[in-house]
Amino acid sequence: MKTVVVEHLARVEGHGGITVELDGDTVGKVHFDVFEGARLLEPLVRGKRFDEVAPILSRICSICSTAHTLTSLKATENAFGVRISPQTELLRELLFRGESIESHALHIFLLAMPDYWDYPGATALAADKPHAVLLGLRLKKLGNLIQETIGGRAIHPVNAVPGGFGKAPSADQLIALRGALIEGMKDSDTVVDLMASLPAANFCHCDTAYAALFSPNADSYYAGDQVMVSSNGELALFHAADYRTLTNEQAAPHSHAKHSTFRGRPFMVGSLARLTVNPRRLTGKLAAVLERLQLQLPTSNPMDNNKAQALELIRDVERALEIVEQLLREGVRDERPVGVRPRAGTGTAITEAPRGLLIHSYTYDAEGRITAADVVTPTALNAADMELRFRRTVEECVERDEAVIAKRLQMVARAYDPCISCSVHLVRRR
Amino acid sequence: MSKPSVGIFGLTGCAGDQLAILNCEDQLLDLVSLIDVRDFLMASSENDAACPLDLALVEGAVLTRRDADRLLAVRKRAKLLVALGTCAVWGGVAAMDRGTDRGKLLAEVYGEMGLGYDSEPARALHEVVKVDLKITGCPIEKDHFLAAIANLLNGDAPVYPSYPVCTECRMLENNCLLIERGELCCGPVTAAGCAARCPNLRVPCVGCRGPAGDANPASLLAVLEEKGIDRQGIAARLRTFAPQGVAQ
Repeated sequence: MKTVVVEHLARVEGHGGITVELDGDTVGKVHFDVFEGARLLEPLVRGKRFDEVAPILSRICSICSTAHTLTSLKATENAFGVRISPQTELLRELLFRGESIESHALHIFLLAMPDYWDYPGATALAADKPHAVLLGLRLKKLGNLIQETIGGRAIHPVNAVPGGFGKAPSADQLIALRGALIEGMKDSDTVVDLMASLPAANFCHCDTAYAALFSPNADSYYAGDQVMVSSNGELALFHAADYRTLTNEQAAPHSHAKHSTFRGRPFMVGSLARLTVNPRRLTGKLAAVLERLQLQLPTSNPMDNNKAQALELIRDVERALEIVEQLLREGVRDERPVGVRPRAGTGTAITEAPRGLLIHSYTYDAEGRITAADVVTPTALNAADMELRFRRTVEECVERDEAVIAKRLQMVARAYDPCISCSVHLVRRR
Repeated sequence: MSKPSVGIFGLTGCAGDQLAILNCEDQLLDLVSLIDVRDFLMASSENDAACPLDLALVEGAVLTRRDADRLLAVRKRAKLLVALGTCAVWGGVAAMDRGTDRGKLLAEVYGEMGLGYDSEPARALHEVVKVDLKITGCPIEKDHFLAAIANLLNGDAPVYPSYPVCTECRMLENNCLLIERGELCCGPVTAAGCAARCPNLRVPCVGCRGPAGDANPASLLAVLEEKGIDRQGIAARLRTFAPQGVAQ
């Protein structure tokens, strides 16, 4: 019996590792170990007033802080029956796209790409392939510019509040943003060329189920409250309020992240899941991108998530530009947030964070103080699927060379773009 | 002159301060030409986990024995240790109610199994090791980080404002959310350096940078009580990001 251990996963957010036991040709225990400290923010937030909740729970994770903020606001607004303005809807979608651009660019170019050419990180990659790193930094900066302009800050946005925004962006700010987005659009082809030039990563094949927000008309990360699970060609649809169907979570001794299954099966969330569940959005230019990247859906290869992120990155820049142009055409009003009148009740919001489904569910008392908070994050939802794919990766590695196994395991782990700080914050047992 | 060796570390937190460093997109490649980043797990898979360091940048709070051990090891390696961000400087959101029974909270989230987890009440870095420089903020401001590196490369100690957010807010000529609208704004007691980001967007300050050195909390309490905001609520609000943040 021997054990392959990836002690501390590098180039991911947070603290986790992988342990695999090998007995001859048989793969024994496979663990995705999460040893990030538990901050226990969900119980700590109890008793706070509704306007304090998003700024606290945003701190679950920096890379997804916009998604946490906006999902938190939506859950609170759902609990109180608040209807936000169409301008707020549009600005929030733009903010979401900004985060997705930043997060995907960071992950694709700085965290995942070095593996394909055997570099330890982006600095080393930049010495030999500066164009790849500079492209990533350019797009990352564009995503941050959107978040700074609309959210007031690139990390832990401050401008999005219950009922709307503190201050809407000025026309001048939007014109500057439009200029940057038009420049960003010029990078689309370069992104596709670069992704198409990556060496193949074909060492894990394993069918799984996919779960994503179902949005028949638009490819929205924020609008909609139906989740679709696609499993072996079978489709299941359920409403946000029934999110526990998906998060039948189990605490595990080796991990501060609980594990989720759907009808007993692990499933994947994130870019690949979004494209698999909503294939109708893949028309025109995006269909061409899909073809150039040789991405066939559904796929059994988790590494394809990197390609799916690249496709989304291109779409995000395009959609962000559409929104900015619409805002400039229609004119941005200097509107205040709509009034928020607390009432006792529960509100749940499901959105698509860059890494996949994100759920916030809150219960408030009549004074608007939170009495219970549940947060389910994409990395927690993916944990069981990651272990399934880790197992398969080792099984497929016929050489049984520990260094090769360890490298492949890390590549598969990174393909999920795990956010380990996020994964530690989990639903409370009931 | 050889480049100073640098390590960048994250304890328990959101990784926002490491991300703030990676968000210096325009300066990043220049930065790595001036300093020798030897240990940065979030950005590289090849790290020297034992080399002596001229400079260690540490974000996050100490929430596990593992965190404490890592911090002690980093301290031993480093000539200068910089606490990066509100969690490292003050304890941050995980420290907001340090008095709460941790076992109870763990059991509530994880069930019985939670009781076996490595978990301690959140501590700021200076409660565990000697800290040479503190850069606060949730997250840190990119400019503060870059200025710190530039200063340290020149052998200077960076200086950050000790005055509160209010000073910056008044200089921007904003209407006062506290006096004019009676909103619970933590600007009067929170460390400046953010250009009054929130009140400048008509959003009350939540105190994410921790307490200002030159604040007058007694006066804030008096103003808030006059506005009908209860003392307990104010205290809880001021404790959100820094457990020691509340006025005695």
